[in-house]
Amino acid sequence: MEILQVILQIVLGITSLLLTMLILLHKGRGGGLSDMFGGGMTSSLGSSGVAERNLNRITVILGLVWFVVIVVLGVITKFDTGL
Amino acid sequence: MFSAIGRIFRTPDLRRKIGFTLGIVAIFRLGSFIPAPFVDFGNVQACLKLNQSTSGLYELVNLFSGGALLQLSIFALGIMPYITASIITQLLRVVIPHFETLHKEGQAGQGRLTQYTRYLTIALAVLQSTTLITVARSGLLFGTNTSTECANLLTDNSWYAILLMVITMTAGTGLIMWMGELITERGVGNGMSLLIFTSISAQFPGSLGAIQQAKGWNVFFLVIAVGIVIIGLVVFVEQSQRRIPVQYAKRVVGRRTYGGNNTYIPIKVNMAGVVPVIFASSLLYLPALIAQFNQPKPGEDAAPWVTWISNYLTQGDQPLYMLFYFLLIVGFTFFYVAITFNPEEVAENMKKYGGFIPGIRAGRPTAEYLDYVLTRITFPGSLYLGFVALIPLLALAIVQANQNFPFGGASILIIVGVGLETVKQIDAQLQQRHYEGLLK
Repeated sequence: MEILQVILQIVLGITSLLLTMLILLHKGRGGGLSDMFGGGMTSSLGSSGVAERNLNRITVILGLVWFVVIVVLGVITKFDTGL
Repeated sequence: MFSAIGRIFRTPDLRRKIGFTLGIVAIFRLGSFIPAPFVDFGNVQACLKLNQSTSGLYELVNLFSGGALLQLSIFALGIMPYITASIITQLLRVVIPHFETLHKEGQAGQGRLTQYTRYLTIALAVLQSTTLITVARSGLLFGTNTSTECANLLTDNSWYAILLMVITMTAGTGLIMWMGELITERGVGNGMSLLIFTSISAQFPGSLGAIQQAKGWNVFFLVIAVGIVIIGLVVFVEQSQRRIPVQYAKRVVGRRTYGGNNTYIPIKVNMAGVVPVIFASSLLYLPALIAQFNQPKPGEDAAPWVTWISNYLTQGDQPLYMLFYFLLIVGFTFFYVAITFNPEEVAENMKKYGGFIPGIRAGRPTAEYLDYVLTRITFPGSLYLGFVALIPLLALAIVQANQNFPFGGASILIIVGVGLETVKQIDAQLQQRHYEGLLK
């Protein structure tokens, strides 16, 4: 259990950092505050291109891994303290 | 009305967009309940139960994260870092000329500004998550309540555990930001504001239930009735605007004719939206924070000014606090309107395209006129904002309701604003295919 926990923690650290990087790589949509709380019309920009689509796919997969690792870690900690 | 709702789901494109939006919102809510690693879930829950109504300090932040903050979940920071970052970049436009030029550059410059906002969001997320986790580690997250549950919120106090939690929460904040952008891009409405909307409305059943349990059914129905009336009034004021007529001169360029039509500049009563309320709350939160840092050691008496602050400036039911809050909101409303709407710029643009307000000369007189109208209409607008923001505090003073009184303040303004905007967008989408929209 110890080893698994350590491995999962390392994986979590790496995926978190990667996820943050990848999200910063995306092109930002929506323009700030005035947009947020009832401003003018938002112009939806059209297609996002192949690079953006691949980036989306990678981000989603990484996000899933990140999510699963957190849940598994939580379950392990729960059993550790519970038992 | 109902046939229109049916039509929404019969339009494949719109159905997909709404489905996508709901899916993202579901993921967002799910994430708000998953505790970050090394958080002792049992202790946090037990401690939350003990402290139902205290901790006014984090009230606004907790509100924006849908209660995730005090649960120390992976989405604990919620959308708050992004809001703060947006406010900062917008205010920096006044200070840094580079930002102003970017803002005027149009699409490309806006993109750059958004990118800056995103970087700033991540930086703020690191800062805020570090603060949050340090506070949680010291056991002061729930004020000065020192039961064993509240003192041991984390299972591991070592430095690498803290680091890992900070990284995780930062990644969570980034993920929320991206989900908001995805909604803006592929879903309905503006993603960021929809996520705030979700967080706030997720608090409603809880706080209503708390009122019911504390006061019984009579007060409960009274609160709901008052709430509906308030919502109606807020919708009315949000929709009201003054229309300044603008006439465009007819121009002939080559064989084409341009202009020659009548339009108007809409000037809303509440141009500033909720932003002044957010400003005022965060500014009033500073004295409480200072007092928190200057708590006396056990056995010592507090300094007189610390006692004064914690007596008059931290509780919402103090008249002095209400007065400050109100004045700050009125001031910030004028300040924010001055930043967002620039009469000289508008007048300049109108002049460029051959437009004028009937009876007023183009150029400087137009700018002066716009400024005059704007100031005059913002005055009742600012009073209105102040009163709406005071509703929860008044409710606290009069019926001794929970401080999280749901119908008032920033929450009602955001809910109504975002709701109106989203319905309008769905309506516009519907009208692309049918003549009859959702709104009659």
